[in-house]
Amino acid sequence: MATEIREAEQNASVSDSDSGQSDFIETNEIPGKSSNTLLVANDSFEDLSYAELNNTIVASPMGTINSLVKKKAKRSLSLPEREHVEDTVSESEVDDSEVETSEICDDSQVDMIEARVTELSLQETTSQTADAQIPHLMTNTDTDYVNSPEWKRQKKHIFILSESGKPIYSRHGNEDKLVTIMGVMQALVSFVADSNKDTLRSIVAGDHKFVFMTRDHLTFVGVTRGKESTQQMFLQLTYMYNQVISILTHSTLTRIFKQHRNYDLRRPLSGAEKFFDNLLNLMDVEPGLLLTSVRCLPLDSNVRDIVSQTIAQHAKVKDLVFALIIAQNQLVAVVRMKKYYLHPMDLHLILNLINASESFKAAESWTPICLPKFDAAGFLQAHVSYLDEECQTCLLLLSVDIEAFYTLSECKAKIQERLIKYNALAAINNSLKRNSYSIQQCSISDLRHFLYKSRSTAQYTSPELEAPYNTKEEKERLFGLYYYLHDRIHTSGRTLKILFHVGAYETLLGWVTTGFELYAVFGPLVTKMSAIHAVNKLLRWIKKEEDRLFILSSVTF
Amino acid sequence: MASRKKVLLKVIILGDSGVGKTSLMNQYVAKKFSNQYKATIGADFLTKEVMVDDRLVTMQIWDTAGQERFQSLGVAFYRGADGCVLVFDVTMPNTFRSLDSWRDEFLIQASPRDPENFPFVVIGNKIDLENRAVSARRAQGWCHSKGDIPYFETSAKEAINVEQAFQAVAKNAMAQESDVELCSDFPDPIKLKDDQAKPRENCAC
Ligand SMILES: Nc1nc2c(ncn2[C@@H]2O[C@H](COP(=O)(O)OP(=O)(O)O)[C@@H](O)[C@H]2O)c(=O)[nH]1
Ligand SMILES: [Mg+2]
Repeated sequence: MATEIREAEQNASVSDSDSGQSDFIETNEIPGKSSNTLLVANDSFEDLSYAELNNTIVASPMGTINSLVKKKAKRSLSLPEREHVEDTVSESEVDDSEVETSEICDDSQVDMIEARVTELSLQETTSQTADAQIPHLMTNTDTDYVNSPEWKRQKKHIFILSESGKPIYSRHGNEDKLVTIMGVMQALVSFVADSNKDTLRSIVAGDHKFVFMTRDHLTFVGVTRGKESTQQMFLQLTYMYNQVISILTHSTLTRIFKQHRNYDLRRPLSGAEKFFDNLLNLMDVEPGLLLTSVRCLPLDSNVRDIVSQTIAQHAKVKDLVFALIIAQNQLVAVVRMKKYYLHPMDLHLILNLINASESFKAAESWTPICLPKFDAAGFLQAHVSYLDEECQTCLLLLSVDIEAFYTLSECKAKIQERLIKYNALAAINNSLKRNSYSIQQCSISDLRHFLYKSRSTAQYTSPELEAPYNTKEEKERLFGLYYYLHDRIHTSGRTLKILFHVGAYETLLGWVTTGFELYAVFGPLVTKMSAIHAVNKLLRWIKKEEDRLFILSSVTF
Repeated sequence: MASRKKVLLKVIILGDSGVGKTSLMNQYVAKKFSNQYKATIGADFLTKEVMVDDRLVTMQIWDTAGQERFQSLGVAFYRGADGCVLVFDVTMPNTFRSLDSWRDEFLIQASPRDPENFPFVVIGNKIDLENRAVSARRAQGWCHSKGDIPYFETSAKEAINVEQAFQAVAKNAMAQESDVELCSDFPDPIKLKDDQAKPRENCAC
């Protein structure tokens, strides 16, 4: 692919090329912008630097949300400064430098590490001599699988292991059959940590990237030959870490390993494998995780108002922190307690919980969930129920009161009754049936697909995937383009504002301002000028549709 | 993921260079004996599944791969070990005398919760050789003085007693296996602080 690509990333300035459109980046005109925060959205990708990701969550001794408020306050002191610097770099400036950050210490180590990596497969082979005495317990298929070429050919592997090198989770293959390889991974991480007082971030070997992240006695390893950058893999591993915290809480996790360094974490996590699997599957198809933002179900704003007002009225219960309705991984409405916000990364854990569980469809449920960005030290209790027969529309009531099930169950009944009465449930169902929207509705020629994120609300919108992006391979390729564009814009030394990239099969335009992020995919022949013209037209279209595509008002109890 | 029955044990083999650690491990896992002395860097790992009292146990065996003082791996090598095999060469008295310092180093670095009862096993290797220099009685005496560590005499070359020695370490480690009930004591639920946010003010409840 590389040779066919021409890149033209200079001078794509808004003011130069299309001065009439520059008003679209004026703050009050940003589509989907809202000053009513309902999601904490200041955690944009560039804040997820290694330094930030490495900050282990500080469990507040109180286990209260105060710590969150404080942390937020601190952050807003330090952040704007940085953002300002970036913002004063003129919007039109374009940076096309290809900065490759080398993340490994020195050559001798690379050699040594590479040698170890190639040895892995050999080691596994020696270790597979299954003990003949226990044939009924040895699932030979498991053993065979992790030694097979299929296993090695998997596009992405994710492993979780403890700091003693014990396996906890593997995306492909039974982790129990990967004991040797996990030991080697731990040895690699420790080797760099102990001998260099350094941290192993990543290894690049051929077309594979190995990305390592150590947090709270756990090591997360991602191996990919996909388009994800190291930074983006890091983000994915962070989601995995958050998923662990969501099940155990940070305080329990650290307590376990303080008391038993040799602890087998698979025990408290048993049954949770489906959440890890599902989260990883979501990451491959759902851009919201990459964008740390969520997609809203398109809905008439007055219907949405009815929904949130109904919740606000009928769930006015002590200790209820958040109430939300989600449908097919999309946000329908959120109501929150004053001063408490839902972070998009936490919301993705909630979406994953619902997405991965069939059991909620059977009955109203009461389940503990820790939302690490909200409070990593404790559990919220979630009342989970579906509001419709088809089990598409899900109501979640998140409380700090572990005794609140019956109270919340009554709330649910009232909410459900009202939503049926006001035809709101039917409206939700209709919207679900209609699919989201076709790119054709934007009527912009040569625009094939886009992702638009409103930063202030941490919400994004994108059209349906249509031809040519309707096969698995093409969808994957499109996702790869977005990975590429997103990475170029965010991690090329400093944040780019506009990036115009001419590829073999399509032309990409990325545009990031303080208010939004836009990633647009055009046909291959579009010129820079017309692409910029087109995205401005697109912004106007989104602006026109924003009431339907975004949740713009924040409702509190 | 883990069923109740599956257990994973991290086992570490320690002892002076040349006593036969790698050979023992290879004998145990792959049942092969190689006469080549191979010094590699870092650690080596082998995995073996065994049955201990009706439970399927996976042993992850860590070997020092030639760097007997493992400057390279440091504490990571020992961290979270469930069992430790101390090996000496019955024809080399100095390797026997080193056992004390190996045991001490392990206890310092791994700092197990209950060092008195940590599952060690001692192996006197190379009993197939003629020139034996450490008697079984002397070795047993040492093991006894360290809290009755089980003692095995093996030959990695002739596959004598190797299986039994590793089986013992697995069994003893299993006996120690801590069965903390974590899920019974959930961390405190979150308490909302009213003075920060006054959520109840406008509640109708
Ligand atoms: N005769 C005999 N030689 C052994 C035995 N075990 C190991 N060796 C030899 O002792 C040397 C060192 O063995 P090795 O396993 O590399 O020791 P390590 O340094 O402790 O890992 C090698 O030449 C082995 O072939 C044994 O039981 N009998
Ligand atoms: Mg050796």
